[in-house]
Amino acid sequence: MAENGSQHVLDGNAAAGLLQEIFDGEITSALIQCDACDSTEAVGSLRLYASTMGAVLRCNHCDSVLMRAVRTPHGHWIEMKGARCLKL
Amino acid sequence: MRAIESVALPVRRLEWQLAQVREIVVETIRVKSLRLHVTGWQGHRPGQHVDIRLTAEGGCQAQRSYSIASAPEDELLALTVERVNNGEVSPYLVDELRAGDQFELRGPIGGYFVWTADMSGPLCLIAGGAGVAPLMAMLRHRDGQSSRPLTLLLYSSRSLDDVIYREELDAMARCDPKLGIVYALTRKQPEGWTGQRGRIDKALLARVCFPPEQNPKIFVCGPTTFVEYVATLLVEFGNDPLSIKTERFGPTGG
Repeated sequence: MAENGSQHVLDGNAAAGLLQEIFDGEITSALIQCDACDSTEAVGSLRLYASTMGAVLRCNHCDSVLMRAVRTPHGHWIEMKGARCLKL
Repeated sequence: MRAIESVALPVRRLEWQLAQVREIVVETIRVKSLRLHVTGWQGHRPGQHVDIRLTAEGGCQAQRSYSIASAPEDELLALTVERVNNGEVSPYLVDELRAGDQFELRGPIGGYFVWTADMSGPLCLIAGGAGVAPLMAMLRHRDGQSSRPLTLLLYSSRSLDDVIYREELDAMARCDPKLGIVYALTRKQPEGWTGQRGRIDKALLARVCFPPEQNPKIFVCGPTTFVEYVATLLVEFGNDPLSIKTERFGPTGG
């Protein structure tokens, strides 16, 4: 049950709808590598801090921010400074 | 019944669709399942979820995600909803919605927390409370197969009355020697209960879960603290972290 909607720790699956809007495809099974601690995990397993505006996905190991995504009336923004790479 | 393709379904652009409630099933005092008809539904894989969107008069919208509890082969799409007191969305879904009502939905979403019958290895499903919903989609899908993997469902619930899908689960296990179901009852146990009293703990996990050498596919769904506790122990036991798929949910805006 990926109940999202307010400020709670969920997981990357709950952000899947938003991420699917951005990437125009399935993204939760893609692997993402953390630039800070080198660990590689599936996007769907990351910790998600969700709000109605968007989502912050953090590394399970070191808590670094890997991905920030927001939906605005003028389009989507995604910032991935904390991720070294994304393997689709 | 619909045939399911074992290959990954192509991901279509996410669009809001109209779902119509065909039937409402009372599961427990707090939980109901909504059985929905969605015109042009493209099918799903067990474990995936949908986003639903409700629009109030005046245009205010609320969006939530719910796991799909039905098998891909089922005629109707089932969502299982637990009432979150003071929530914005779940009290409406559980208490107000009637057969014939419609709301917006999009999906299926997610490809990570997914199990299909063509995956190898024994299947280990661990649920906390309403987290059983996506695991039920997997069990229902599995139940329709001619060859089924050895499967364990370890399900933590407050009491026996709070066990969602209890009759269906017990019936499945009765006629399937390859399916084992273990309940952990955290708050209240019936008289003479010989099963687990209290939360799922390290000793119980060690006793009932498949050993890592069997390369089980593991799915854990429940509240955040539950999922992290269970997943940490399973890694400690020697399971490959990438073989453990997790889905956390929180009592949110409900």
